[in-house]
Amino acid sequence: MTEDFRARARAWLEANAPRRAAGDDDGESGAATTLAEQKAFQAKLYDAGFAGITWPTEYGGQGLTNAEQIDWSREARDYDLPNGAFFIGLSMPGNTILEVGSEAQKKRYLPAMLRGEEIWCQLFSEPGAGSDVASLQTSAVRDGDGWVLNGQKVWTSGAQYSDFGAVLARTDPAKPKHEGISMFIVDMHAPGVTVRPLKVATGHSPFNEVFFDNVRIPADGLIGEENKGWAAAVVMLRHERIAIGTMSAPRTSPLGYESLRSLAAGLGRTDDQAVRRRLAELYARSRGVQLFGLLLREEAMAGRLPGARGSVAKLAGSDLGRFAANVALDVLGDQLAGSDAEELQTVATLIVAAPGSAIAGGTSEIQRNIIGERVLGLAKDPGVDRSTPFNQLRVGTQRSDVPASSGEPR
Amino acid sequence: MTLILTDEEQALADSVRRFVAERSPLTSLRQLISSGEPFDAGVWKQMTAQLGLAGLAIPEEYGGAGAGLSALSVALVELGAGLVASPLLGSAVLAAGTLLRLDDEDAKRELLPGIAAGELMATLALAGGRSKAVLVGDGSEPALSGTVSPVLNGTEADVLLVPADSGSGTVLYLVRAEAPGLTRTRLAAADHSRSLARIRLNATPARALAGDAAAALSAAADLANLALASESAGAMRACLDMTSGYAKIRVAFGQPIGAFQAVKHRLADMQKNWELGYAAVRDAARAGDEEPGRFSVAASVARVLLAEAYFDAVVDTVQLHGGIGFTWEHDAHLYYKNGLSNKVLFGTPGEQLDRLADSLGI
Repeated sequence: MTEDFRARARAWLEANAPRRAAGDDDGESGAATTLAEQKAFQAKLYDAGFAGITWPTEYGGQGLTNAEQIDWSREARDYDLPNGAFFIGLSMPGNTILEVGSEAQKKRYLPAMLRGEEIWCQLFSEPGAGSDVASLQTSAVRDGDGWVLNGQKVWTSGAQYSDFGAVLARTDPAKPKHEGISMFIVDMHAPGVTVRPLKVATGHSPFNEVFFDNVRIPADGLIGEENKGWAAAVVMLRHERIAIGTMSAPRTSPLGYESLRSLAAGLGRTDDQAVRRRLAELYARSRGVQLFGLLLREEAMAGRLPGARGSVAKLAGSDLGRFAANVALDVLGDQLAGSDAEELQTVATLIVAAPGSAIAGGTSEIQRNIIGERVLGLAKDPGVDRSTPFNQLRVGTQRSDVPASSGEPR
Repeated sequence: MTLILTDEEQALADSVRRFVAERSPLTSLRQLISSGEPFDAGVWKQMTAQLGLAGLAIPEEYGGAGAGLSALSVALVELGAGLVASPLLGSAVLAAGTLLRLDDEDAKRELLPGIAAGELMATLALAGGRSKAVLVGDGSEPALSGTVSPVLNGTEADVLLVPADSGSGTVLYLVRAEAPGLTRTRLAAADHSRSLARIRLNATPARALAGDAAAALSAAADLANLALASESAGAMRACLDMTSGYAKIRVAFGQPIGAFQAVKHRLADMQKNWELGYAAVRDAARAGDEEPGRFSVAASVARVLLAEAYFDAVVDTVQLHGGIGFTWEHDAHLYYKNGLSNKVLFGTPGEQLDRLADSLGI
């Protein structure tokens, strides 16, 4: 039956999606397409029966298994699907609502996501709360049967075109930090929501800052229970790691083995034994990461879910990116310092971008904590802040010449 | 092709693991260190006669089980975890693997059934290409001269397969232990679980084996990569278990030391490196059985990843145990020495990368 599915998927992709061209690896799938085109493509995907493959049919899904999902991923990796704007919504808020949302929320939001009608973003990180996201300071204060949201979020992908966001906010600052957080659905078009592009080291703006100024959240906007938002966040972060860790890597990337090898050959660098060895090692390490991803998917198909081992995949992927950047450095030498060849400029930009993958979606340090504690079962970090009321904690960036402002947004 | 173990492979892994725990715990390696014996003959007999490990990758027509390289790799992972000293790698993996890729039917029929049963011990005198034997005398009564070192189980082997320069390329020769002019000297091995020797040939009579020696030696190098990577994966897992276990019970500054990120993060990296290396071992083992065209590259990948990862792991195993990890009575040094030896046997890291670069056509 999955063979049928796979054949059907292959035929549909060949007829409807552009093949991935070498060099399309800047993480912005379908970046050249307009939002309207992306929505139209997602709708077409839905009509063909390839959206929400494992989601239940009552919420617009296909009601199939992980096996079909894996088949789809394997077939789709050769294509540049112009629906990247939906990736975050479907894999993170979507899966979280499916797991902990109310029946009304599932019926209202999930089918609209799948049909390409509504785009979602995730609003967790703040200027003062990154790795320690539970120290977030955005507040949601009860007002009638709803809440009023104030604060600032950062590193929000897709906020500029999102219709809704899943936001974490503090609902009880007198409780310890993990126990006073709630997760809400926020309408990104509501009055008081301001989105500004955030320019990163490469000069691009793949993320945003989002400001909330007295934004009203209605009673049915709460995901899960009040003050139980951390549990919902853990669910979403797990989906995020799995989505990132098991993403099928494109076959070609300018920092990948194939591209660097042909660049090296073009520059006459493959006669150098040191360069040959570095390229061979890059091949070996890339295969290791790729094969581990494959092993995780096989285990998932056999009913053993990756759980915290998704962090191993995330960490390994970031490490590989860093190693590849170093190999590129050896291959290209001082041409990386300055060049008018577009090919080399692309590589240089990706080297500048490389540190980002060890920070985005949970830093490598946090992944190592997760692996140590949840895979190896080591003792938890001796945190001093687990039982202290949030409004008595020091959070964010603090300077000795400025008095600490507990719990107040900066 | 799947990377995860089949039910049969899982059963094999379980039975070898039980065998190692019951019959060859690390205390028995310490007994070998005291006695100077290269391996425990009783354990070897059980490994072969009872568990059939020597015949796993030898076809049924030559007296083996024909279970393939994936099964062999699964067994080697478990034997590696327990640092079991035995002639399995030299005899049943390398010598048998080399013979199987030659066209010398007489030699196969004569030697392979004994190797598969564990009754005949063979070895391959392959030592990184640094020391080579040469053909002396004429073609009708071939004899070899030269020195090869280090040779795995060179002292104990009943027969040796010796690559030598015949004047018109490399040929593989069969040399019997009792042949005149053969001197075998046991070396001081860094790793207590390996027995290594220097082989000196002085106009030693030898029999030329029919077939493409270069292809057979290349296949042997691939098998060595798979076997060493498999053993290293098992041993690295043992280091990870031992060290994370200790990090849970050793308390310093009022906390189990595993709570500290300086310790936790090194163990997390060890876990990550193990996962990638193990996946590569599974891929190489399967490729060996199902996609022979991919085997050489896949085995190189597994070896390259594990040679480095396992050695890093043994260094961290000693370090994270602190003082106790550097004592003779603690097992950490047994793995440290194994990791050291596995990193350089049958190709140093640089040579391994050169071989991979060649196979990839870089």
